Amino acid sequence: MKKIETIFIIDDDPITVFGIKKLLGVCNIGAEVHSFGNGKEALECLNNKLARNESLPDVVFLDINMPIMDGWQFLEEFVTLPLIKRIRINIITSSIDPYDLENWEYYKARTHHLIDYRNKPIDKIEIEAITKAA
Amino acid sequence: MYNHYTLVGNFIIVLTGYKLHTPKYLIKQLPTAIVFLNTEFEVVHISDKWITDFNFAGNNLIGKSIHELFESVNEEWQAVMEACLLGKGGDTGLQSFRNKEGLQRWFEWTNIPWFDPNENIIGIIIQAADITERINNEMQQEKLKLLLNEKSEIAQIGSWEYDAATDELQWCQMTRKIHEVPDYFKPAINTGLEFYKEGYSRNTISLALYKAIETQSSWCEKVELITAEGNEKWVIVVGKPLYKDGEYKGLIGTLQDITHMVQSEIKTRESEDLLRTVIDNIPLNVYIKDLESRKILVNKSECKYLGVTDPSELLGKSDFDLYDKEIAQISRDEDLMVMNTQTPSIGMETVNVTKDGVATSFLTSKIPLIGADGECKGLIGISLDINNLKKQEAELRDLINVISLQNKKLVNFAHIVSHNLRSHTANFSMLLDFLVKEKDEQEKQHIIGMLTTASDSLLETLENLNEVVAVNSNTNLAKTQVVLYDKVGIVTKNLAEFLKENKATIINRIPKELKVNVIPAYIENILMNFITNSVRYKNPDRDPIIQLSATRKGQYDVLSIADNGMGIDLQKHRDKLFGMYKTFHGNSDAKGIGLYITKNQIEAMRGKIEVTSEVGNGTTFKVFLNEKD
Repeated sequence: MKKIETIFIIDDDPITVFGIKKLLGVCNIGAEVHSFGNGKEALECLNNKLARNESLPDVVFLDINMPIMDGWQFLEEFVTLPLIKRIRINIITSSIDPYDLENWEYYKARTHHLIDYRNKPIDKIEIEAITKAA
Repeated sequence: MYNHYTLVGNFIIVLTGYKLHTPKYLIKQLPTAIVFLNTEFEVVHISDKWITDFNFAGNNLIGKSIHELFESVNEEWQAVMEACLLGKGGDTGLQSFRNKEGLQRWFEWTNIPWFDPNENIIGIIIQAADITERINNEMQQEKLKLLLNEKSEIAQIGSWEYDAATDELQWCQMTRKIHEVPDYFKPAINTGLEFYKEGYSRNTISLALYKAIETQSSWCEKVELITAEGNEKWVIVVGKPLYKDGEYKGLIGTLQDITHMVQSEIKTRESEDLLRTVIDNIPLNVYIKDLESRKILVNKSECKYLGVTDPSELLGKSDFDLYDKEIAQISRDEDLMVMNTQTPSIGMETVNVTKDGVATSFLTSKIPLIGADGECKGLIGISLDINNLKKQEAELRDLINVISLQNKKLVNFAHIVSHNLRSHTANFSMLLDFLVKEKDEQEKQHIIGMLTTASDSLLETLENLNEVVAVNSNTNLAKTQVVLYDKVGIVTKNLAEFLKENKATIINRIPKELKVNVIPAYIENILMNFITNSVRYKNPDRDPIIQLSATRKGQYDVLSIADNGMGIDLQKHRDKLFGMYKTFHGNSDAKGIGLYITKNQIEAMRGKIEVTSEVGNGTTFKVFLNEKD
């Protein structure tokens, strides 16, 4: 199995960020973890990495409801990025709104990246299952 | 064989002359058909008239038996002739005979015995008179009489005659029948008049009679009479004076029973009246158009709709005279379609616009009028005014829109609640799981700290949700008239410290006397929210200036709040601007609840909100406060 080197967590809730980080630590994946308070910050970081030709994240944990740029707005921009590497995006949300599920289908169909959709809370077993290279 | 001494009847003097041969020639020349027979029924003398009448020209008839001459001598005649020889004479009879042209001719014959001077019967004298003309005349008269009776019977026309000299009134059979009087009834002028119905009828006939007698004028009147048996009848009485040699003799006239006609006329009129009443009073516009689409009948509803009091004002007019040109053309095309195809068009929804611009929705049916010859004569139009229905339909649709909007809001809210509660509980469950498994005391404290934060945040969320629920469920909070200018003053005063801190300027351009129909607590919250937002999202390059103004627009008072702040990219954020927990700027104190509550409060007052913004230049919110409801 391919080694995971970089993980992004995009969520405005510090508790969720803490939780995901802790679970990843328990699982002992040993990757570099970056967290962002909203989509915009994460997008800026990605653009910088692209510009500097740095390695891109293998897995992204993405929240939907965030200020400034929410998860869907982030995806809208993300799918247009010239990324050859297939990245795994795990949408982690507490939303059960059908509108969000529709959006998930929409973006899944539009990109070569792997997009997964999970409801909170997430436990150790689940996080292990979805933290792998796409 | 002949005896020249014998003399007969009227010719006796002639025949008893001195010239013995005279009788033979005399008889021959008599202008009547006459024949002398001997006792053997053989011809002794015969007049030329007989020969021509009976077609015997060229034959010598003397000495021939009568039986040879007339094959069809009937038994009656034979008996008469035989009786004659016994001295019994003077009998007459009829004999028909077909002449050489094959036409039937009638003869009346008279037989008398032929006596010699000694009173001995020596034969029979037969005189035949051609009475064909008379018979024909009699038959003609009989026929005419029959015909007249028949006619009078069929047409129910009787006749009457008044003789002024004798003061006698004659009624024919039919006149009697109409009066229903027995055969022995003897009419007179006075009794005749009494049959007429008292009042108009009797007066009319009395006057006509009087005038006819006085001034010899004729008349023709339609009146009612009551028969001897008490039946009422309608009759036409015609009378005219009768003159003979220029002298007034009396009156003649006819009497026609027209009860059936009048009754059917009355029936027709009654059904016409009934139809007219129905057409006039049904709550539908009814009209009949000719082939040129000109109105030839309109009912009251149609008159009322087109604003005229009398149908005559519409007759002969086409839709082009009454409606907007475009509408009239549409209607004319429909008319042509119906008339050309002879197919009714039922229940079309149409809109008519009268010349004064008033539009009315109709449910219109057009039915072709087809004559007995199968040709289309025009059409009948029936229109039901469905303006009210349409209005109700529109209201209903509006209501459905409002309800579905509210339903959407409710579902949306349910999702917000579900999402917010789930995110907190998810955090609790996760943190507790960590806590249970955590060995490190310091990390334990860290987790407990986070649990406390999560708990506070849950409480805050619940409070926000409560507030939203309160706004949406307290829809029956009373709206009152509030001076908007003063409300801005109060809010500005409450925010004085905050405004001063941010060097913000409030410009209140709301008319001082303007009163708005609002829930006071809501309007204060709305003002406070917009003002604080304007200051909070100020442009870092300049001090905030907030301008408030208000205008009346239809049923709304429009409150406008314009700032010179950083603005919002509406293309990106319009959808989420008023959403719950949506923030667009990086400010850490943005909670994404203010505008959501504000919008809910405006909608609870049945108002609406609009926004325009330009990034870097500022934002203008327009709050529509519903005055009416």
